[in-house]
Amino acid sequence: MIKFSNVSLVYPNSTKTVLEDLTLDIAEGELVLVIGPTGSGKSSLLRLINGLVPHHTGGILAGDVSVDGVSTREVKPGGLAHLIGIVGQNPLHGFVTDTVEEELAFSMEVMNLAPDVMRKRIEEALDFMSLTTLRSRQISTLSGGEQQRVAIASALVMHPKALVLDEPTSALDPIAAEEVLSILHRLVHDLGITVVLAEHKLERVIGFADRIVYINGDGQTNVGTPSQIMQTSPLAPPIVHLARALGLADVGLSVRDMRRLTETIRENITVPSQSAAQKSGKTVIDIDTVTVAYGASTALNKVSATIYENEIVAVMGRNGAGKSSLLTAIAGVGHVTSGQVHIHSLESSSLAGNLRMKTVGFIPQEPSDLLYAQSVIKECHQADKDNQIESGTTLKILDQLVPGISYETHPRDLSEGQRLGLALSIVLSSNPKVLILDEPTRGLDYEAKKILTRILIEFAKTFNRAVMIATHDVELVAELATRVIFLADGDIVADGVTIDVLLASPAFAPQVSKVMAPAPWLTVHDVIAAIENQP
Amino acid sequence: MTIAIAVARRSSPIVAIASVGVMGVIVFSQRDDAPWGKSFSWSLKFSASILLIRTFIGVTIGVPVPGTNIFSLPVIPLPHWMPGIRIGGAVTAERLSSALSEGVIICALIIIFGAAASLTSPHKLLRILPIFMYEFGVAVVISTSLVPQLVSSVGRIRQAQKLRGQSTKGFASYRRLAIPLLEESLARSLDLAAAMDSRGYGISRLRSRYRPIQWRLPDSAIVLCGLIVMTLT
Repeated sequence: MIKFSNVSLVYPNSTKTVLEDLTLDIAEGELVLVIGPTGSGKSSLLRLINGLVPHHTGGILAGDVSVDGVSTREVKPGGLAHLIGIVGQNPLHGFVTDTVEEELAFSMEVMNLAPDVMRKRIEEALDFMSLTTLRSRQISTLSGGEQQRVAIASALVMHPKALVLDEPTSALDPIAAEEVLSILHRLVHDLGITVVLAEHKLERVIGFADRIVYINGDGQTNVGTPSQIMQTSPLAPPIVHLARALGLADVGLSVRDMRRLTETIRENITVPSQSAAQKSGKTVIDIDTVTVAYGASTALNKVSATIYENEIVAVMGRNGAGKSSLLTAIAGVGHVTSGQVHIHSLESSSLAGNLRMKTVGFIPQEPSDLLYAQSVIKECHQADKDNQIESGTTLKILDQLVPGISYETHPRDLSEGQRLGLALSIVLSSNPKVLILDEPTRGLDYEAKKILTRILIEFAKTFNRAVMIATHDVELVAELATRVIFLADGDIVADGVTIDVLLASPAFAPQVSKVMAPAPWLTVHDVIAAIENQP
Repeated sequence: MTIAIAVARRSSPIVAIASVGVMGVIVFSQRDDAPWGKSFSWSLKFSASILLIRTFIGVTIGVPVPGTNIFSLPVIPLPHWMPGIRIGGAVTAERLSSALSEGVIICALIIIFGAAASLTSPHKLLRILPIFMYEFGVAVVISTSLVPQLVSSVGRIRQAQKLRGQSTKGFASYRRLAIPLLEESLARSLDLAAAMDSRGYGISRLRSRYRPIQWRLPDSAIVLCGLIVMTLT
């Protein structure tokens, strides 16, 4: 179906080989997962399939990529539109029209299909993706999961033989991600469509994959079944790490497999009684009946909470539950309808200049918004100057966070993780009393997340600071947070110690806890510590 | 006027262009501000401010027009190389009315375009664009989808800059805003172009319509009327 024969790829003005001598034959109805560290060339591989690379991006391609017998060398990407549906990293960037129905019709219109055929296919696609109720909605008003479904539907109307998706669930909450993935599963099994997808959050997708392509980052690739790849892959979901830590011969790829494999282990350990989490008495953030309303819709509804020193608070909830509204309100830059937020008894919205930087550090969803200089080193100097601190301080922090970063690189050319590291070191250079991060883990691989976790825990501990983080990433929360605030429809519906909140809901429970239930452990580390403490 | 709105709602370019002509001609000949309702409030506000400025300038600066004197303003002497032009002086009824009516024309045009813009989305116009204008079509889609995105990006980046404790006023702040904004817009435009390309835009020479826009009798009648009015005025 999709055939890579001896494919090598080099981008112009770059000495790095993205792919080297990749030979891969993807059969019809196969679900292939592409994994690799950030910036290793996953997107490039996906875009090779329909010829966007090199037709659209440039680059030197050796070897040949063909889809259903058609070589991508001979046709433009559009010429494969009837064979391949492609859904980009952020589907919102790829929408051409305004409403759901028009968007579905777009590709068929440009391919000059008859109106009655279009009508039939649109109805089919709407039904299949359960979008019928949204058919005349404005696309920009849809939630992330719905947008992803519209993007998939608009590819499906062409009756493609293959579907290519770049990180389809990275911006989605666990439940929306589940929805999208089960649709992909149905496409493969009911319609025999070939699906190729790239994803960082392996714990979500690994159960669906038939084969995995592992890209190393230096051009080397490794192709195999999930269990083969997972034996050795440094990128692995928590349950695989658990299997390795427990010294199991087999790696289980689903919670069910792992429960079977760990049956004896689970029987033989006694669950220690939980030591109650201690709260440090000193209040850092005081949120007092904050309401945020945009016109008729309420994003936050009289939310009150108190955040103490040393706490790392994860703010969770569906897309559009009010997480960002809460965090920007705390930082004092968001729109607040009524209520107040005090940080160390300073009203946060009145902060400005240097005092603001010393009080609250904020990493927005798009960390590059904070950056504007032409190189990493200029960015660091600017931060030193802004904070009136000794020059070189920011650079020192950066070296600790992401060692080996090239100082002359333009911030835009950094990988996702490095850019976050740079933004973080700029914010940390002023040593703020509160650090707030709004969904920092989009597009981050496990390695980068591990570094982030370490930095945040150290920061909270050494300086007695409070950290707040909004995220969909359950596994990150399990590793990092001491407390979880769960938002739904603008209300706080749960607020408590991480372990209590996460274990209370099956959708938000991390994999390890599902495997080890009823023992209340969230991470591999917890399990190993408990086993070592066995008498 | 209501007919004109109805025409624009049908979103055919010919009808749209003709209806802008029709609307323009109607307003031109009537020299009257059209009641557009709440949805065009922004264009009304914008045009109102223009009207004020235009009238003020028209009354105070320019060539004297003889007529009934309403009141006089002190004349500000200008250098002798600007003969016939003066600032201040007698304000006559004729001058006031001509300045007002000119202002109203400009306002009406702005309002018509505001109305047209709010009635037809550029994406709809693109759908009826002939295929030989492929490159142009891509450019139009990108630029029109960029505008609302630019607005939200500006808000976001300004917020981020405020977070870095920087002022959002003054020249330097615009420079800091421009660079991330430009980079982001560029990246997004490339994304959109890639998406349109991979969905087969520009491959087929013909293009079908999902919900074809029908040409009805009233449309022809309106276009005809418009043409007649245009030739008459």
